[in-house]
Amino acid sequence: MAEYRFVEHLPDLIHPDDYAGDPAGRRVRIQVRVTEQGIEVLGDAMRPAAIERLLEALGAERIEQMLCG
Amino acid sequence: MRWSPAEFHQPAGADVLCTLCPHGCRLADGAIGACRVRRRRGEGLETATFASATWHLDAIERKPFYHFLPGTRALTLAAPGCSFACDYCQNYRISQVGRLPELPWSAEPVEPEEVAAAAAAQGAAIALSYSEPVLAAEMTLALAAAARPRGVPIVWKTNGFVTLDALARIAPCLSAVNVDLKAPDEARHRALTGAPLAPVLAALAALVRAGVWVEVSTPLLPGVNDDPASLRLMAQMVARSGETIPWHLLRFTPEFRMRGEQPTSPQALGDAVAIAREAGLPYVYVERALGPEGRATRCPRCGEEVVARGIWCTLRTSLGAGLCPGCGESIPGRWRSSPWQSTASSSTFPT
Repeated sequence: MAEYRFVEHLPDLIHPDDYAGDPAGRRVRIQVRVTEQGIEVLGDAMRPAAIERLLEALGAERIEQMLCG
Repeated sequence: MRWSPAEFHQPAGADVLCTLCPHGCRLADGAIGACRVRRRRGEGLETATFASATWHLDAIERKPFYHFLPGTRALTLAAPGCSFACDYCQNYRISQVGRLPELPWSAEPVEPEEVAAAAAAQGAAIALSYSEPVLAAEMTLALAAAARPRGVPIVWKTNGFVTLDALARIAPCLSAVNVDLKAPDEARHRALTGAPLAPVLAALAALVRAGVWVEVSTPLLPGVNDDPASLRLMAQMVARSGETIPWHLLRFTPEFRMRGEQPTSPQALGDAVAIAREAGLPYVYVERALGPEGRATRCPRCGEEVVARGIWCTLRTSLGAGLCPGCGESIPGRWRSSPWQSTASSSTFPT
């Protein structure tokens, strides 16, 4: 099971206009980068569980998430 | 998890009564309260909340506070635990620790002097957010003792579920509080959170009376509070607590036990703003969905934009000592003493 860490900031990939364009809220965006430490996958989704399932299925050992508030 | 002595309790026959939140747990020796982070030990209580799972330095606008020291940052701590069990909670990995066995304890003990010194060095406030700060009352008191001599304000983002006796002790330590108003009546509030609504409204009124700066947040929850009648009722509740209280309307995100619902549409948020304004609330905000206008503070008398905001940041204020530069109207809040403009690049925060 992946370890979840709470971080101060992650870039937004879902923007306000996306909500008007996808009322059902199915939109997911990912950005994949090769770094010196390995592969970094940045994800954003209207449904957080969707991106979490994807990252866990990819075998992420550590998943960073922002908190609300 | 480290347990430390707690305050806010009294004997109740063979039990010890926790007097911090209105759940009022009567605890036998060794028993843990409904919050899962306070327990009885001997004739007293212990708390696990003298700890934080975060040490985040972020904008005060994120809490959200829009009328409190705009442009300030907040060193944000979060002790795990919550007195509510809201079905939609986006922070359930930290708020529902103790209720969901798969969630780990991720907090580290807090040293108040260290936190206060760090906040002072950054010119930041100290915020307790993400989880329920009421349950970290002892840590709040200790942080306030360390922060006060340094001029560092303490702010809370809270569900407002606190006894009035406890609040009487804590409120003098708080400079600003953002209270969640989650449902328009007792039945729906209990169904959503597992707790009654009346104590939240009582705490909201008590905070206003105590002179703490208060803002209110409401997530638009499908089938719970997002119909026009419910929004009207909640707007009236906010207005009764204070006609100029800023009200933040938040988009619902399908999460936790409400993953089958749809996110709130921009149209629904716009309609909710209109309902709030009809109820007489002049300061109603939506962070993203309505663009810059949804975040702007306008003078209710002359319409001049007196605070312009980006996403999670203040761009500029034209208020001098809280007065509109156009007509002199007093805009309620805790403002900087003179007009202010951010020097940070606004491109960091797309609009």
